[in-house]
Amino acid sequence: MSLLKKKPAAAADDAWLASSCALCYGTCSILAHRVDGTVIKIEGNPDSVVGKGKLCGKGVSGIMTHYDPHRLTKPLKRTNPVKGIGVDPGWKEISWDEALDTVARELKRIRDEDPRKLTVMRTTTVTASRVPFQAFSAGFGTPNFSVAGGGLHCGNGAHLISGIMHASWSVVPDFEYCNYAVYFGASKGHSAGHASCSNMGLAADARARGMRMVVVDPMCNFAAAKATEWVPLRVGTDAALALAMCNVMVNELGIFDAPYLKAKTNGPYLIGPDQLYLRDPATKEPLVWDEKKGVALPYTAVPAEDMALEGNYQVDGVPCRPSFVILKEHLRKFTPEQAEKITTVPAADIRRLGGEFGREARVGSTIVIDGVTVPYRPVAAIAFRGAQGHMNSVYNFLAVDLLNQMVGAADVAGSCLGFNPASHGFPETGRLRYVPKAGPDGLMVTGMWMGYHYPYPIAEPRLPTNLGLQDLFVMGMTSPFLTSSDQEELWQTFSVPYRPEALLNFGCNIMMSVGTSQTVAESLKKYKFIASIDLYLTEFSDFCDIVLPDCDYLQSTDSRSNFPFIFNLPGGMGEWCWSIRQPADQPQGEQRRHSEVLLDLAERIGMTPDFNAALNASINLAPPYRLAPDRRYSWDEVCDAELKCNFGAERGLDWFKQHGVIKWPKKPEEVYWRAFEDVRVPIYWEFLKVAGDKIAAIAEPRGVSIPREYYEPLPDFLPCPSHQCEHKGFDYFAFYYRDIIHTNSFTMENPWLDEAARLDPYSYTVAIHKDTALSRGLAHGDVVDIETEGGRKVTGRLCLTEAIHPEGLGIAALAGHWGDGMPIAKGKGVFFNELLEVDWDHSSPVNQNLDLCVKVKVTKLGAKP
Amino acid sequence: MVIDLKRCIGCYGCQLSCKAEHGTPPGVFFARLLKHEEGKYPSVRQMFLPVLCNHCTDAPCVDVCPTEASHYCEGGIVDIDHDKCVGCRACMMACPYNNRYFNAERNWYFGDAGPTPYELARSARHDTGVVMKCNFCTPRLAEGKLPACVANCPTTARTFGDLDDPNSTVSRLIKDRGGFTLHPEAGTSPNVYYLAP
Repeated sequence: MSLLKKKPAAAADDAWLASSCALCYGTCSILAHRVDGTVIKIEGNPDSVVGKGKLCGKGVSGIMTHYDPHRLTKPLKRTNPVKGIGVDPGWKEISWDEALDTVARELKRIRDEDPRKLTVMRTTTVTASRVPFQAFSAGFGTPNFSVAGGGLHCGNGAHLISGIMHASWSVVPDFEYCNYAVYFGASKGHSAGHASCSNMGLAADARARGMRMVVVDPMCNFAAAKATEWVPLRVGTDAALALAMCNVMVNELGIFDAPYLKAKTNGPYLIGPDQLYLRDPATKEPLVWDEKKGVALPYTAVPAEDMALEGNYQVDGVPCRPSFVILKEHLRKFTPEQAEKITTVPAADIRRLGGEFGREARVGSTIVIDGVTVPYRPVAAIAFRGAQGHMNSVYNFLAVDLLNQMVGAADVAGSCLGFNPASHGFPETGRLRYVPKAGPDGLMVTGMWMGYHYPYPIAEPRLPTNLGLQDLFVMGMTSPFLTSSDQEELWQTFSVPYRPEALLNFGCNIMMSVGTSQTVAESLKKYKFIASIDLYLTEFSDFCDIVLPDCDYLQSTDSRSNFPFIFNLPGGMGEWCWSIRQPADQPQGEQRRHSEVLLDLAERIGMTPDFNAALNASINLAPPYRLAPDRRYSWDEVCDAELKCNFGAERGLDWFKQHGVIKWPKKPEEVYWRAFEDVRVPIYWEFLKVAGDKIAAIAEPRGVSIPREYYEPLPDFLPCPSHQCEHKGFDYFAFYYRDIIHTNSFTMENPWLDEAARLDPYSYTVAIHKDTALSRGLAHGDVVDIETEGGRKVTGRLCLTEAIHPEGLGIAALAGHWGDGMPIAKGKGVFFNELLEVDWDHSSPVNQNLDLCVKVKVTKLGAKP
Repeated sequence: MVIDLKRCIGCYGCQLSCKAEHGTPPGVFFARLLKHEEGKYPSVRQMFLPVLCNHCTDAPCVDVCPTEASHYCEGGIVDIDHDKCVGCRACMMACPYNNRYFNAERNWYFGDAGPTPYELARSARHDTGVVMKCNFCTPRLAEGKLPACVANCPTTARTFGDLDDPNSTVSRLIKDRGGFTLHPEAGTSPNVYYLAP
């Protein structure tokens, strides 16, 4: 492919353009420096709170992704009808007209037959793409929406439970005021993730201030490397540790925040012998025991301070107890001694950690911030991908959050915070206002959410019509069954009345991002037609019929880089900040923006009115900015409408292109909203039991057994499939972790990042504990086969280290590309996901999270060169 | 310069923002991140050590340079005059820190695909056959900006200032937190200080 020639210097062009990064979903604000038509530097935008003028290594390296000569520049169609891994599709360059006509014809046929036969898939890395793709799916009429490995790997548990308990997508310590943070398999502020670069600065300030940080993780890297204390544990056993710490705190030391539990949780709700709420016969509201009056009354009829948290009661002859005391009793079985056997963390350490957390919480204290008195609980227990990436995803995450809930360390000063769950809106227009509110049974409903269903209330389980079965498994978000080896069996079992026929992808490389390649390949071969809007030819492109060359983030416009604020705007005090994306460079060749392609397709399919209506809803456009049904808008016009709608007629796209961002101060009542909003969160998941019963009633008559231990109202430690592997020689728990210089499978193609990764001791190698390796005759640099009991196999080079649990095998990122479309990335690192089965047996029966740890055998292939 | 290892998280922001600022060729780094481990399991720690030219007061690279290409600038910055450098690499042998690089031949990051527009604009200006290294972003300093690695550091681990001024932030950080230099035994009087993790 030829290079773009530098434009002649006819006019002196020297501009700094305020825009947004897209090297990861953190979406930090950038300034792109363009001189004579060439982007020569990308820096952080100091005017924005997202990154605060700083960028991580990925962000500053975006230029080399932008100018990658291997990027697609022309629409392509395959000429070889045979699809398979490594089978040459025989790409032929075609015109945009032909490409769009082909895609539109296929989609129109499907839409006329049954729109559900289309699956729409998009990468989470370009956060603003959620709106056009979600609206396109809704307008088209398909519920089958995928983010490939997103959710399955990173957050069906983290996001669901952060949503139910903190009204946000994720949780983070209140870095400004927290004194003691416990991280379970999370790297917030030390590597990748939501608001990653902003959090790096906030975490460094907290460290300098003296915040103690305990990091529970099988590997001592990133957050653990900066921790006050690293607590190595057996992979996948986080719930056992968290529950034992809770037990120490609540039962051994008697530390809990009774006023918080009474006012802000369902701890006082009375539970009968059937594990369900006792309800008022008239209002159906859950009952609590009024200690003053000595009677059971609906929770809305009793002042919180009079609600009983403990004791045994009889209501109309039914024995009952407050859910808090049931939880308290339940916790007793998680003794530190028992937890030591499961986690390998010494009981004495568990006791100490539980005590430290409880004491540092300073239950009962308050602090004045900006003149407002708020509860002060300077402790936080957070979790993310590591802890929640297991079949026991829900309980692992919930167990960690119970530490916060027991001491009231939830969305108050110093505590575990959701990312911006409450906003009182942009002051001049009142737009962007949302707060958590009380839903069914007084439990919290988030004020803001993104896609799929709200975390709570949960939908009524039904015989599924979604390919991912999320309408049966109602706590699920992204589903493995769009790609699983047993999908056809499950669809037949549940009489799913159609089969997928077309797939429209934007930017995902699902061949690498979910699980073992053979399984994913078979699922892709079932589609009659696949079109993909992409930057490169990837391993996924081998299965595509049409590939369309996308513009990248330096060539595109978006109106909402950091909204919803629950996703990647930094939490805690400071400022609200709205940023945009604007092009700093022209398309190369025939590249076109994905948003424009969708608008084109909608027009050619004849669904513009439906697309516009869905955009109106998705963006929440109000008159006079609502899109008219019949007009084919440009994406810039849609962006302009959103900006004016939110910020006033004078602040459209042109204003933002000039000014970059708009900011306004956060209030303590927003950041520490928990004390100011009358909502409760569930420490006893009664609704989970109810959902489990309903799901089983549908699934079990069809022969699918629902393991009810996953649907108990209180969390437990449930072993992963890897914990049950007893084959001889399978000694290591293999896991992967997010590398600080890589995003999913995308960034290995960036030659600056690839160069850094090649020099890094860990990025492209397999971390193994030094002593255990040596005792097996394995040496540093050895090339080894890593094999599962199911026969899945990858090859990697060992890095012997002290900084990993002796049973752990740590693999960075999502590397190991084999395709030719990304030649810099090809052959670098280890393709961990090849080891993962994608099926019912390896998915959470509650939230559909895949189990991401696997027991492996390590065999030496050859000595180091 | 002072680098606070307590704040540094090893994000490679310095190494890569330096590369973006200067367009250094493949394999050439004016700033790098090194990782190593200290201790035995479980009392072990992964450590991050960002390195760059130490701009030594008694710089052996300047002493050995036969053409006076390596020289001290006003304010103590050690720089290389590429018009004078003959690429003998004596300075690379003399530097105890391995922070100098020889730009042997023209090299592009995408190899045979040739230079990107960015590389044409930013990398093509680098001479071949000469030794290259950090000059504390002298052109940025002239514009009143901080060196790229300092300005960009997401954890604000880097502080740049005047070590001759006892009241400067850098001097106070070194005094208050016991700043140390790398390989003091080499006797080069480095001017990049580190604060303990």
